[in-house]
Amino acid sequence: MTTPLRRGLRRAAAALILLTAWEGASRAGWVDPFYAPAPSRVAAVLASIVADGSIWVHLQATLTAALAGLLGGLLLGILLGFAAALVPWLAELLEPVMILLNAIPRVILAPLFVIWLGIGLASKVALALILVAVLIFFAVYSGIREVDRRLVERVRTLGGGRRALIEEVYVPSITAWVLGNLKIAVGFAFTGAVVGEFVASSRGLGYLLQFAQSTYNAALTIALIAVIMVCALVLFSAAEWVERRLLRWRYV
Amino acid sequence: MLRIEGLTVGYGAEPILEGVDLAVLPGQFVSLVGPSGSGKTSILRAVTHLLEPQHGTIALNIPPADVGFLFQDDALLPWRDVRANVSLGLRIRGVAAADAADRADSWIASLGLEGLGDRYPRQLSGGQRKRVALAQVLALEPRLLLMDEPFASLDAIVRVRITEELLGWVERKHLTVLLVTHDLDEAVTLSDAVYVLSHGPRAGILARHAVDIPRPRHVLESRAHQRFAPLVQRLWDDLGGDRPRTPQEDQ
Repeated sequence: MTTPLRRGLRRAAAALILLTAWEGASRAGWVDPFYAPAPSRVAAVLASIVADGSIWVHLQATLTAALAGLLGGLLLGILLGFAAALVPWLAELLEPVMILLNAIPRVILAPLFVIWLGIGLASKVALALILVAVLIFFAVYSGIREVDRRLVERVRTLGGGRRALIEEVYVPSITAWVLGNLKIAVGFAFTGAVVGEFVASSRGLGYLLQFAQSTYNAALTIALIAVIMVCALVLFSAAEWVERRLLRWRYV
Repeated sequence: MLRIEGLTVGYGAEPILEGVDLAVLPGQFVSLVGPSGSGKTSILRAVTHLLEPQHGTIALNIPPADVGFLFQDDALLPWRDVRANVSLGLRIRGVAAADAADRADSWIASLGLEGLGDRYPRQLSGGQRKRVALAQVLALEPRLLLMDEPFASLDAIVRVRITEELLGWVERKHLTVLLVTHDLDEAVTLSDAVYVLSHGPRAGILARHAVDIPRPRHVLESRAHQRFAPLVQRLWDDLGGDRPRTPQEDQ
Protein backbone atom coordinates (compact mmCIF):
# COMPACT_ATOMS: atom_id res chain seq x y z
CA MET A 1 0.00 0.00 0.00
CA THR A 2 1.28 3.48 -0.89
CA THR A 3 1.04 5.89 2.00
CA PRO A 4 2.32 9.49 1.68
CA LEU A 5 5.11 8.66 4.16
CA ARG A 6 6.26 5.61 2.20
CA ARG A 7 6.08 7.53 -1.06
CA GLY A 8 8.16 10.34 0.48
CA LEU A 9 10.73 7.87 1.82
CA ARG A 10 11.00 6.17 -1.56
CA ARG A 11 11.53 9.50 -3.32
CA ALA A 12 14.14 10.63 -0.74
CA ALA A 13 15.96 7.31 -1.11
CA ALA A 14 15.97 7.65 -4.92
CA ALA A 15 17.35 11.20 -4.68
CA LEU A 16 20.02 10.06 -2.21
CA ILE A 17 21.08 7.18 -4.48
CA LEU A 18 21.30 9.55 -7.47
CA LEU A 19 23.39 12.11 -5.56
CA THR A 20 25.66 9.40 -4.14
CA ALA A 21 26.18 7.93 -7.62
CA TRP A 22 26.88 11.38 -9.03
CA GLU A 23 29.33 12.13 -6.19
CA GLY A 24 31.06 8.78 -6.67
CA ALA A 25 31.29 9.18 -10.44
CA SER A 26 32.74 12.65 -10.06
CA ARG A 27 35.33 11.57 -7.49
CA ALA A 28 36.30 8.54 -9.55
CA GLY A 29 36.91 10.83 -12.50
CA TRP A 30 34.16 9.20 -14.63
CA VAL A 31 32.55 12.59 -15.27
CA ASP A 32 34.38 15.83 -15.91
CA PRO A 33 33.86 18.12 -12.84
CA PHE A 34 34.09 21.11 -15.20
CA TYR A 35 30.73 20.08 -16.69
CA ALA A 36 29.21 18.19 -13.80
CA PRO A 37 30.84 19.15 -10.48
CA ALA A 38 30.21 16.80 -7.57
CA PRO A 39 27.20 17.56 -5.33
CA SER A 40 29.62 18.26 -2.47
CA ARG A 41 31.28 20.95 -4.59
CA VAL A 42 27.91 22.49 -5.47
CA ALA A 43 26.95 22.40 -1.78
CA ALA A 44 30.22 24.10 -0.85
CA VAL A 45 29.61 26.91 -3.37
CA LEU A 46 26.06 27.30 -2.10
CA ALA A 47 27.25 27.41 1.51
CA SER A 48 29.87 30.03 0.64
CA ILE A 49 27.44 32.43 -1.09
CA VAL A 50 25.01 32.02 1.80
CA ALA A 51 27.74 32.43 4.44
CA ASP A 52 29.29 35.56 2.89
CA GLY A 53 25.81 37.00 2.36
CA SER A 54 26.30 37.69 -1.36
CA ILE A 55 23.19 35.66 -2.27
CA TRP A 56 20.73 37.73 -0.23
CA VAL A 57 20.78 40.91 -2.31
CA HIS A 58 20.11 38.84 -5.43
CA LEU A 59 17.46 36.70 -3.76
CA GLN A 60 15.74 39.81 -2.46
CA ALA A 61 15.74 41.41 -5.93
CA THR A 62 14.25 38.32 -7.59
CA LEU A 63 11.62 37.74 -4.91
CA THR A 64 10.63 41.42 -4.95
CA ALA A 65 10.20 41.38 -8.74
CA ALA A 66 8.32 38.06 -8.67
CA LEU A 67 5.95 39.03 -5.87
CA ALA A 68 5.31 42.53 -7.25
CA GLY A 69 4.67 41.04 -10.69
CA LEU A 70 2.41 38.38 -9.19
CA LEU A 71 0.29 40.89 -7.25
CA GLY A 72 0.17 43.37 -10.12
CA GLY A 73 -0.64 40.62 -12.60
CA LEU A 74 -3.42 39.25 -10.39
CA LEU A 75 -4.96 42.71 -9.98
CA LEU A 76 -4.66 43.62 -13.65
CA GLY A 77 -5.91 40.21 -14.84
CA ILE A 78 -8.93 40.28 -12.51
CA LEU A 79 -9.76 43.87 -13.46
CA LEU A 80 -9.49 43.32 -17.22
CA GLY A 81 -11.22 39.93 -17.07
CA PHE A 82 -14.14 41.37 -15.10
CA ALA A 83 -14.39 44.41 -17.37
CA ALA A 84 -14.26 42.33 -20.55
CA ALA A 85 -16.91 39.92 -19.30
CA LEU A 86 -19.28 42.73 -18.30
CA VAL A 87 -18.63 45.24 -21.13
CA PRO A 88 -19.00 43.58 -24.56
CA TRP A 89 -17.22 46.29 -26.57
CA LEU A 90 -14.23 46.08 -24.22
CA ALA A 91 -14.15 42.31 -24.74
CA GLU A 92 -14.06 42.91 -28.51
CA LEU A 93 -10.92 45.02 -28.05
CA LEU A 94 -9.20 42.99 -25.36
CA GLU A 95 -9.86 39.43 -26.47
CA PRO A 96 -7.68 39.44 -29.65
CA VAL A 97 -4.83 41.20 -27.83
CA MET A 98 -4.94 38.68 -25.00
CA ILE A 99 -5.21 35.73 -27.39
CA LEU A 100 -2.13 37.05 -29.22
CA LEU A 101 -0.22 37.58 -25.98
CA ASN A 102 -1.23 34.11 -24.83
CA ALA A 103 -0.11 32.52 -28.09
CA ILE A 104 3.42 33.93 -28.10
CA PRO A 105 6.16 33.06 -25.59
CA ARG A 106 5.68 36.24 -23.57
CA VAL A 107 9.30 36.26 -22.36
CA ILE A 108 10.25 37.65 -25.80
CA LEU A 109 8.89 40.95 -24.46
CA ALA A 110 11.81 41.14 -21.99
CA PRO A 111 14.16 43.11 -24.30
CA LEU A 112 11.37 45.58 -25.05
CA PHE A 113 10.72 46.13 -21.33
CA VAL A 114 14.45 46.70 -20.78
CA ILE A 115 14.44 49.34 -23.53
CA TRP A 116 11.34 51.02 -22.13
CA LEU A 117 11.94 50.66 -18.39
CA GLY A 118 15.71 50.21 -18.01
CA ILE A 119 17.66 47.39 -16.42
CA GLY A 120 16.26 48.01 -12.93
CA LEU A 121 13.45 46.34 -11.04
CA ALA A 122 10.64 47.82 -13.17
CA SER A 123 11.40 45.80 -16.32
CA LYS A 124 11.43 42.52 -14.32
CA VAL A 125 8.18 43.37 -12.57
CA ALA A 126 6.63 44.26 -15.94
CA LEU A 127 7.61 40.91 -17.46
CA ALA A 128 6.35 38.91 -14.45
CA LEU A 129 3.19 41.04 -14.46
CA ILE A 130 2.37 40.47 -18.13
CA LEU A 131 2.95 36.71 -17.79
CA VAL A 132 0.55 36.52 -14.83
CA ALA A 133 -2.02 39.04 -16.09
CA VAL A 134 -2.74 37.17 -19.34
CA LEU A 135 -3.22 33.90 -17.45
CA ILE A 136 -5.54 35.47 -14.88
CA PHE A 137 -7.45 37.46 -17.51
CA PHE A 138 -8.55 34.25 -19.20
CA ALA A 139 -9.34 32.60 -15.85
CA VAL A 140 -11.64 35.47 -14.86
CA TYR A 141 -13.10 36.11 -18.32
CA SER A 142 -13.92 32.43 -18.86
CA GLY A 143 -14.99 32.09 -15.24
CA ILE A 144 -17.67 34.75 -15.62
CA ARG A 145 -18.82 33.65 -19.08
CA GLU A 146 -19.00 30.00 -18.11
CA VAL A 147 -20.48 30.53 -14.67
CA ASP A 148 -23.04 27.86 -13.73
CA ARG A 149 -26.31 29.17 -15.18
CA ARG A 150 -28.31 27.10 -12.67
CA LEU A 151 -26.77 29.11 -9.82
CA VAL A 152 -27.57 32.36 -11.57
CA GLU A 153 -31.21 31.30 -12.02
CA ARG A 154 -31.34 30.02 -8.44
CA VAL A 155 -30.27 33.43 -7.09
CA ARG A 156 -32.63 35.24 -9.45
CA THR A 157 -35.64 33.19 -8.37
CA LEU A 158 -34.75 33.90 -4.74
CA GLY A 159 -35.11 37.58 -5.57
CA GLY A 160 -31.47 38.42 -6.21
CA GLY A 161 -30.47 41.19 -8.58
CA ARG A 162 -27.13 42.19 -10.09
CA ARG A 163 -25.50 42.88 -6.71
CA ALA A 164 -26.56 39.54 -5.20
CA LEU A 165 -25.39 37.73 -8.33
CA ILE A 166 -21.96 39.39 -8.13
CA GLU A 167 -21.60 38.72 -4.38
CA GLU A 168 -23.03 35.22 -4.23
CA VAL A 169 -22.16 33.73 -7.62
CA TYR A 170 -19.66 35.67 -9.72
CA VAL A 171 -17.08 36.67 -7.10
CA PRO A 172 -16.89 33.21 -5.44
CA SER A 173 -16.86 31.55 -8.85
CA ILE A 174 -14.03 33.80 -10.08
CA THR A 175 -12.15 33.36 -6.80
CA ALA A 176 -12.23 29.62 -7.41
CA TRP A 177 -10.94 30.06 -10.98
CA VAL A 178 -8.20 32.51 -9.94
CA LEU A 179 -7.02 30.44 -6.99
CA GLY A 180 -7.09 27.35 -9.16
CA ASN A 181 -4.55 29.16 -11.35
CA LEU A 182 -2.56 30.68 -8.50
CA LYS A 183 0.12 27.97 -8.45
CA ILE A 184 0.68 28.38 -12.19
CA ALA A 185 0.73 32.17 -11.71
CA VAL A 186 3.44 31.86 -9.05
CA GLY A 187 5.56 29.85 -11.48
CA PHE A 188 4.96 32.42 -14.22
CA ALA A 189 5.89 35.31 -11.90
CA PHE A 190 9.14 33.63 -10.94
CA THR A 191 9.91 32.84 -14.56
CA GLY A 192 9.28 36.48 -15.52
CA ALA A 193 11.54 37.81 -12.80
CA VAL A 194 14.44 35.43 -13.50
CA VAL A 195 14.25 35.69 -17.30
CA GLY A 196 14.06 39.48 -17.02
CA GLU A 197 17.20 39.47 -14.90
CA PHE A 198 18.85 37.05 -17.29
CA VAL A 199 18.32 39.42 -20.22
CA ALA A 200 19.69 42.56 -18.59
CA SER A 201 20.14 43.53 -14.95
CA SER A 202 22.62 44.39 -12.26
CA ARG A 203 21.25 42.09 -9.55
CA GLY A 204 18.99 39.12 -8.98
CA LEU A 205 19.27 35.35 -9.28
CA GLY A 206 18.89 35.60 -13.06
CA TYR A 207 21.75 38.08 -13.21
CA LEU A 208 23.89 35.80 -11.04
CA LEU A 209 22.98 32.85 -13.24
CA GLN A 210 23.97 34.79 -16.32
CA PHE A 211 27.30 35.65 -14.62
CA ALA A 212 27.88 31.98 -13.67
CA GLN A 213 27.15 30.86 -17.23
CA SER A 214 29.46 33.48 -18.79
CA THR A 215 32.32 32.36 -16.51
CA TYR A 216 31.60 28.65 -17.15
CA ASN A 217 31.07 28.14 -13.43
CA ALA A 218 28.96 24.98 -13.47
CA ALA A 219 29.00 24.58 -9.66
CA LEU A 220 27.57 28.08 -9.13
CA THR A 221 25.05 27.53 -11.95
CA ILE A 222 23.74 24.32 -10.37
CA ALA A 223 23.72 25.93 -6.91
CA LEU A 224 21.66 28.85 -8.24
CA ILE A 225 19.26 26.52 -10.04
CA ALA A 226 18.79 24.72 -6.71
CA VAL A 227 18.09 28.05 -4.97
CA ILE A 228 15.54 29.01 -7.64
CA MET A 229 13.87 25.62 -7.33
CA VAL A 230 13.62 25.96 -3.54
CA CYS A 231 12.19 29.49 -3.86
CA ALA A 232 9.62 28.35 -6.42
CA LEU A 233 8.72 25.39 -4.21
CA VAL A 234 8.22 27.65 -1.17
CA LEU A 235 6.04 30.09 -3.16
CA PHE A 236 4.17 27.15 -4.72
CA SER A 237 3.46 25.71 -1.26
CA ALA A 238 2.32 29.13 -0.02
CA ALA A 239 -0.04 29.40 -3.00
CA GLU A 240 -1.40 25.94 -2.27
CA TRP A 241 -1.94 26.88 1.38
CA VAL A 242 -3.84 30.02 0.36
CA GLU A 243 -5.92 28.03 -2.14
CA ARG A 244 -6.82 25.35 0.40
CA ARG A 245 -7.67 27.96 3.01
CA LEU A 246 -9.85 30.11 0.77
CA LEU A 247 -11.44 27.22 -1.14
CA ARG A 248 -12.09 25.10 1.93
CA TRP A 249 -15.42 23.97 0.43
CA ARG A 250 -13.51 22.22 -2.34
CA TYR A 251 -11.23 20.24 -0.04
CA VAL A 252 -13.60 19.18 2.77
CA MET B 1 -53.77 32.63 -7.31
CA LEU B 2 -52.23 31.83 -10.69
CA ARG B 3 -54.10 31.99 -13.98
CA ILE B 4 -52.40 31.23 -17.28
CA GLU B 5 -54.28 31.97 -20.48
CA GLY B 6 -53.23 31.22 -24.05
CA LEU B 7 -49.59 30.74 -23.08
CA THR B 8 -47.21 30.08 -25.96
CA VAL B 9 -43.51 29.68 -25.25
CA GLY B 10 -40.55 28.48 -27.25
CA TYR B 11 -36.83 28.88 -27.75
CA GLY B 12 -36.90 29.14 -31.53
CA ALA B 13 -39.40 29.80 -34.29
CA GLU B 14 -41.60 26.79 -33.42
CA PRO B 15 -43.26 26.99 -30.00
CA ILE B 16 -42.71 24.18 -27.50
CA LEU B 17 -46.21 24.67 -26.19
CA GLU B 18 -49.07 26.70 -27.52
CA GLY B 19 -52.29 28.16 -26.14
CA VAL B 20 -52.03 26.68 -22.66
CA ASP B 21 -54.77 27.60 -20.15
CA LEU B 22 -54.23 26.66 -16.55
CA ALA B 23 -55.46 27.83 -13.15
CA VAL B 24 -54.14 27.25 -9.65
CA LEU B 25 -56.50 28.32 -6.85
CA PRO B 26 -55.29 29.36 -3.38
CA GLY B 27 -54.43 26.33 -1.27
CA GLN B 28 -54.56 23.97 -4.25
CA PHE B 29 -51.89 21.45 -5.18
CA VAL B 30 -51.80 21.21 -8.96
CA SER B 31 -49.55 18.91 -11.00
CA LEU B 32 -48.51 19.05 -14.62
CA VAL B 33 -47.67 15.75 -16.26
CA GLY B 34 -46.67 15.06 -19.80
CA PRO B 35 -44.05 13.53 -22.04
CA SER B 36 -40.49 14.86 -22.24
CA GLY B 37 -40.29 17.94 -24.42
CA SER B 38 -43.90 18.93 -23.82
CA GLY B 39 -42.79 22.18 -22.18
CA LYS B 40 -43.76 21.46 -18.57
CA THR B 41 -40.65 23.16 -17.21
CA SER B 42 -41.10 26.06 -19.63
CA ILE B 43 -44.43 26.91 -17.97
CA LEU B 44 -42.71 27.26 -14.58
CA ARG B 45 -39.86 29.26 -16.14
CA ALA B 46 -42.36 31.60 -17.76
CA VAL B 47 -44.15 32.13 -14.43
CA THR B 48 -40.83 33.10 -12.78
CA HIS B 49 -39.76 35.31 -15.71
CA LEU B 50 -36.79 33.09 -16.56
CA LEU B 51 -38.42 32.69 -19.98
CA GLU B 52 -40.36 35.31 -21.91
CA PRO B 53 -43.71 34.05 -23.28
CA GLN B 54 -44.29 34.51 -27.02
CA HIS B 55 -48.03 34.94 -26.46
CA GLY B 56 -50.57 34.74 -23.68
CA THR B 57 -50.92 36.09 -20.17
CA ILE B 58 -49.75 34.95 -16.78
CA ALA B 59 -51.82 36.55 -14.02
CA LEU B 60 -50.45 36.20 -10.52
CA ASN B 61 -52.42 37.85 -7.74
CA ILE B 62 -49.51 37.78 -5.28
CA PRO B 63 -46.19 39.67 -5.41
CA PRO B 64 -43.44 37.82 -7.33
CA ALA B 65 -41.47 37.67 -4.06
CA ASP B 66 -44.11 35.31 -2.68
CA VAL B 67 -43.35 32.71 -5.34
CA GLY B 68 -40.82 30.00 -4.48
CA PHE B 69 -39.18 27.83 -7.14
CA LEU B 70 -37.69 24.44 -6.34
CA PHE B 71 -35.52 23.36 -9.27
CA GLN B 72 -34.92 19.89 -10.60
CA ASP B 73 -31.21 20.31 -9.79
CA ASP B 74 -30.24 21.22 -6.25
CA ALA B 75 -28.43 24.32 -7.55
CA LEU B 76 -26.90 24.95 -4.13
CA LEU B 77 -23.95 27.33 -3.91
CA PRO B 78 -20.97 24.96 -3.51
CA TRP B 79 -18.91 27.61 -1.69
CA ARG B 80 -21.53 28.29 1.00
CA ASP B 81 -22.30 25.95 3.87
CA VAL B 82 -25.78 24.59 4.51
CA ARG B 83 -26.71 27.46 6.84
CA ALA B 84 -25.63 30.11 4.31
CA ASN B 85 -27.43 28.28 1.50
CA VAL B 86 -30.66 28.06 3.48
CA SER B 87 -30.44 31.71 4.50
CA LEU B 88 -29.48 32.89 0.99
CA GLY B 89 -32.93 34.13 0.02
CA LEU B 90 -33.41 35.80 3.39
CA ARG B 91 -30.10 37.66 3.12
CA ILE B 92 -30.91 38.68 -0.46
CA ARG B 93 -34.17 40.16 0.83
CA GLY B 94 -32.35 42.24 3.41
CA VAL B 95 -32.81 40.15 6.58
CA ALA B 96 -29.87 40.86 8.95
CA ALA B 97 -27.20 38.16 8.80
CA ALA B 98 -27.65 36.98 12.43
CA ASP B 99 -31.44 36.82 12.12
CA ALA B 100 -31.18 35.03 8.77
CA ALA B 101 -28.79 32.47 10.30
CA ASP B 102 -31.18 31.87 13.25
CA ARG B 103 -34.11 31.37 10.91
CA ALA B 104 -32.02 29.11 8.70
CA ASP B 105 -31.10 26.98 11.74
CA SER B 106 -34.75 26.61 12.59
CA TRP B 107 -35.54 25.40 9.02
CA ILE B 108 -32.50 23.13 9.07
CA ALA B 109 -33.90 21.47 12.20
CA SER B 110 -37.44 21.35 10.77
CA LEU B 111 -36.22 19.42 7.75
CA GLY B 112 -34.19 16.93 9.74
CA LEU B 113 -30.79 18.40 8.94
CA GLU B 114 -29.68 19.01 12.55
CA GLY B 115 -25.92 19.21 12.94
CA LEU B 116 -25.32 19.75 9.22
CA GLY B 117 -25.43 23.58 9.24
CA ASP B 118 -21.66 23.89 8.88
CA ARG B 119 -21.33 21.29 6.12
CA TYR B 120 -20.80 22.15 2.48
CA PRO B 121 -23.11 20.76 -0.26
CA ARG B 122 -20.47 18.31 -1.51
CA GLN B 123 -20.44 16.71 1.96
CA LEU B 124 -24.16 15.89 1.77
CA SER B 125 -26.08 12.98 0.29
CA GLY B 126 -28.56 13.56 -2.56
CA GLY B 127 -31.49 13.46 -0.15
CA GLN B 128 -29.85 15.92 2.23
CA ARG B 129 -29.11 18.33 -0.62
CA LYS B 130 -32.76 18.16 -1.68
CA ARG B 131 -33.81 18.99 1.87
CA VAL B 132 -31.44 21.97 1.91
CA ALA B 133 -32.88 23.20 -1.39
CA LEU B 134 -36.39 22.75 0.02
CA ALA B 135 -35.45 24.58 3.24
CA GLN B 136 -33.96 27.41 1.16
CA VAL B 137 -37.27 27.92 -0.62
CA LEU B 138 -39.54 27.31 2.39
CA ALA B 139 -37.49 29.75 4.52
CA LEU B 140 -38.92 32.54 2.38
CA GLU B 141 -42.41 31.34 3.32
CA PRO B 142 -43.73 31.45 -0.24
CA ARG B 143 -47.46 31.49 -0.86
CA LEU B 144 -47.05 29.77 -4.21
CA LEU B 145 -44.48 27.01 -4.56
CA LEU B 146 -43.36 25.94 -8.04
CA MET B 147 -41.54 22.61 -8.19
CA ASP B 148 -39.80 21.14 -11.22
CA GLU B 149 -39.41 17.38 -10.71
CA PRO B 150 -37.62 18.12 -7.46
CA PHE B 151 -37.18 14.52 -6.33
CA ALA B 152 -36.56 12.86 -9.69
CA SER B 153 -32.93 12.00 -8.95
CA LEU B 154 -33.56 10.39 -5.55
CA ASP B 155 -33.81 6.70 -4.82
CA ALA B 156 -37.27 5.29 -4.07
CA ILE B 157 -37.05 5.19 -0.26
CA VAL B 158 -35.62 8.69 0.16
CA ARG B 159 -38.13 9.94 -2.38
CA VAL B 160 -41.10 8.58 -0.43
CA ARG B 161 -39.72 10.07 2.81
CA ILE B 162 -39.19 13.53 1.37
CA THR B 163 -42.52 13.46 -0.46
CA GLU B 164 -44.21 12.56 2.84
CA GLU B 165 -42.48 15.50 4.55
CA LEU B 166 -43.47 17.84 1.74
CA LEU B 167 -47.06 16.65 1.90
CA GLY B 168 -47.07 17.42 5.62
CA TRP B 169 -45.70 20.91 5.06
CA VAL B 170 -48.10 21.70 2.28
CA GLU B 171 -51.15 20.57 4.24
CA ARG B 172 -50.13 22.23 7.51
CA LYS B 173 -49.21 25.55 5.89
CA HIS B 174 -51.99 25.43 3.24
CA LEU B 175 -49.37 26.09 0.57
CA THR B 176 -50.39 26.54 -3.03
CA VAL B 177 -48.25 24.36 -5.26
CA LEU B 178 -47.70 23.85 -8.98
CA LEU B 179 -45.65 20.68 -9.50
CA VAL B 180 -44.09 19.45 -12.73
CA THR B 181 -43.48 15.71 -12.74
CA HIS B 182 -43.04 12.68 -14.97
CA ASP B 183 -44.29 10.45 -12.21
CA LEU B 184 -48.04 9.84 -12.47
CA ASP B 185 -48.18 8.13 -9.04
CA GLU B 186 -46.54 11.16 -7.47
CA ALA B 187 -48.91 13.53 -9.27
CA VAL B 188 -52.02 11.69 -8.02
CA THR B 189 -50.63 11.20 -4.49
CA LEU B 190 -49.95 14.89 -3.97
CA SER B 191 -52.43 16.81 -6.08
CA ASP B 192 -55.93 18.22 -6.02
CA ALA B 193 -55.84 18.51 -9.80
CA VAL B 194 -53.60 17.08 -12.53
CA TYR B 195 -53.16 18.68 -15.96
CA VAL B 196 -51.97 16.43 -18.78
CA LEU B 197 -49.87 17.95 -21.54
CA SER B 198 -49.67 16.52 -25.05
CA HIS B 199 -46.48 15.80 -26.99
CA GLY B 200 -44.40 18.81 -28.07
CA PRO B 201 -43.68 20.80 -30.10
CA ARG B 202 -46.85 22.86 -29.97
CA ALA B 203 -47.96 20.91 -26.91
CA GLY B 204 -51.23 21.80 -25.25
CA ILE B 205 -53.42 20.72 -22.35
CA LEU B 206 -54.98 17.33 -23.14
CA ALA B 207 -57.02 16.96 -19.99
CA ARG B 208 -57.56 18.14 -16.42
CA HIS B 209 -58.42 15.62 -13.73
CA ALA B 210 -59.60 16.41 -10.21
CA VAL B 211 -58.10 14.14 -7.54
CA ASP B 212 -60.76 13.47 -4.92
CA ILE B 213 -58.67 11.47 -2.46
CA PRO B 214 -59.38 12.98 0.97
CA ARG B 215 -56.80 14.97 2.96
CA PRO B 216 -54.73 14.80 5.07
CA ARG B 217 -52.89 12.31 2.92
CA HIS B 218 -49.94 10.02 3.40
CA VAL B 219 -47.94 8.72 0.48
CA LEU B 220 -48.41 4.98 0.91
CA GLU B 221 -52.00 5.21 2.20
CA SER B 222 -52.99 7.42 -0.74
CA ARG B 223 -51.55 4.90 -3.18
CA ALA B 224 -53.68 2.20 -1.57
CA HIS B 225 -56.84 4.33 -1.86
CA GLN B 226 -59.55 2.89 -4.12
CA ARG B 227 -59.61 6.01 -6.33
CA PHE B 228 -55.84 6.06 -6.84
CA ALA B 229 -55.39 3.30 -9.43
CA PRO B 230 -58.31 4.38 -11.69
CA LEU B 231 -56.96 7.95 -11.73
CA VAL B 232 -53.45 6.83 -12.63
CA GLN B 233 -54.97 4.64 -15.35
CA ARG B 234 -56.84 7.63 -16.79
CA LEU B 235 -53.63 9.64 -16.89
CA TRP B 236 -51.91 6.75 -18.69
CA ASP B 237 -54.78 6.58 -21.13
CA ASP B 238 -54.55 10.30 -21.78
CA LEU B 239 -50.85 10.11 -22.47
CA GLY B 240 -51.16 6.90 -24.49
CA GLY B 241 -54.08 8.31 -26.45
CA ASP B 242 -51.79 11.06 -27.60
CA ARG B 243 -49.27 8.60 -29.07
CA PRO B 244 -48.22 9.16 -32.71
CA ARG B 245 -50.58 7.42 -35.14
CA THR B 246 -49.27 4.25 -36.73
CA PRO B 247 -49.20 3.89 -40.56
CA GLN B 248 -52.07 1.36 -40.26
CA GLU B 249 -54.17 3.88 -38.34
CA ASP B 250 -53.41 6.54 -40.93
CA GLN B 251 -54.66 4.23 -43.69
